[in-house]
Amino acid sequence: MSENPRPDVKIRIEHLNVRYSDGTESLHDISMDIYTHQINVLFGPSGGGKSTLLRMLNRLNDLADVSEQEGRILLDGENVLARDYDVLQLRRRLGIVFARPVPLPMSIYENVIYGLRLAGVRDKQQLDATVERALKQGALWDEVSDRLSDSAYDLSGGQQQRLCVARSLALQPEVIMLDEPTSGLDPISTFKVEQTLQQLKRDYTIVIVPHSVQQAARIADWAAFFLQGDLIEWDEGRQLFTDPQDQRTEDYITGRFG
Amino acid sequence: MISRQLSERIAFGLIIVAAAIVILPIFFIIGYVVVQGLGAISWTFLTEMPREGMRAGGVMPAIVGTLLLTLGTAIVAVPIGLGGAIYLSEYAGDNATTRAIRIAIINLAGIPSVVYGLFGLGLFVIFLNFGTSILAGSLTLGIMTLPVIISTAEEALRAVPQSFRLVSTSLGGTRWQTIQRVVLPQALPGIITGIILGVERAAGETAPILFTAAAFFLPRLPASIFDQTMALPYHLYVISTQVPGMPIQIQYGTALVLLVFVLSLNLVATLIRRHYRKQRVW
Repeated sequence: MSENPRPDVKIRIEHLNVRYSDGTESLHDISMDIYTHQINVLFGPSGGGKSTLLRMLNRLNDLADVSEQEGRILLDGENVLARDYDVLQLRRRLGIVFARPVPLPMSIYENVIYGLRLAGVRDKQQLDATVERALKQGALWDEVSDRLSDSAYDLSGGQQQRLCVARSLALQPEVIMLDEPTSGLDPISTFKVEQTLQQLKRDYTIVIVPHSVQQAARIADWAAFFLQGDLIEWDEGRQLFTDPQDQRTEDYITGRFG
Repeated sequence: MISRQLSERIAFGLIIVAAAIVILPIFFIIGYVVVQGLGAISWTFLTEMPREGMRAGGVMPAIVGTLLLTLGTAIVAVPIGLGGAIYLSEYAGDNATTRAIRIAIINLAGIPSVVYGLFGLGLFVIFLNFGTSILAGSLTLGIMTLPVIISTAEEALRAVPQSFRLVSTSLGGTRWQTIQRVVLPQALPGIITGIILGVERAAGETAPILFTAAAFFLPRLPASIFDQTMALPYHLYVISTQVPGMPIQIQYGTALVLLVFVLSLNLVATLIRRHYRKQRVW
């Protein structure tokens, strides 16, 4: 572990255990922190529980068939797994972007403001301003500003994914979670997304499941290595990728398995 | 021992014949009804009351009655059917209650239509005292149509990609908001198709309205939903079996009107499906 003073904790995960009813992907006794204004990377081979962890953080897993769930997830000190926690509010505070871009079947404009509409915002000026701000932050504004009423499905794959980022940003979340957001993208689009992340971390806390070890090493401020539901190692990125403490971490990042 | 090539040819031949036999009756039925009945069709036939013991005049009250019953069926069956489908697809888990509901729906679909008629007579006409009326007939036909609407609507709802629900939820949407804003609009074409197909089935039924709504001979338009009415399928039954000296042309003319009505509903359903399938992005 590195000696530098640690950044502020945004989310503290304590002894989290999760198991799905069908026995797939689970998490065993995970404890780690997500740091404010950092790029927090969760990586490891598929089936390791990274996506499950993301979906636990904003309780999207409420929709899934989870049979067992223990532990605590503290967002600014409050346990989001508590029964009476305001889940709708939680999901607005923790935006998520999925591996495959999923534009909703509506216009670019309507996609961006979808979350605001759900919250009952009707003020046209506020909506317009949000669309411009979010699309600029998502690095898409210049490409679509003159055709906001077009279907979101007219965009290219890379543009669709940036639209999904913008759609999350429209709600001004505190944390942005990205689940292999560049897995379907070409290197140039991937580079754009990574660049965007570097800018976004100034205003937001980023949690990302990268689509490769290389990407993890490129962008991680903090990195956590997951293997079959266990958290093997968690450390500052430059520490973990240059001098891993666990043999399994070393084997994975040097490409001996994976 | 016949060779594999020969048995392939025989099997292929038999299958082709079977496929052709499926197509033939529809051509024969439509062709025959058109040939026999087209001569009877005229403006008078469509817009006038029957006269001379239904042996002359038109079938207007039967057309209006069938339209009203079809509309009534839709009003009864659509809200309940759609609600049930949304519950089964979006809310219900896989448990004893939903399994019971599904079994009920399957059985509802298997009940003979004349039994629905008898049930409607007992419950709506006599017990609830609606009398033989458009109301009682619509309720009976509506219940009969429910299984079709529920199953097609549920199928259409389930076809909407799960990822849309996930995205909507992740942006702070409640389940109902997600249904309203994403799931239902995307499933609508399939739902409308199902509604039309279900209602179209009801429009052509005789047995369920036999005891609940249909009038043998009523040369005026119904005054309210508590009034009985003539209806095309029942009228066809009456003039084909109950009236001696009935001109064949009027029988087939009536059949033609019923056929055109039902087939146009079918056509509308097909057009809706085609139109939206082209627009669909998933």
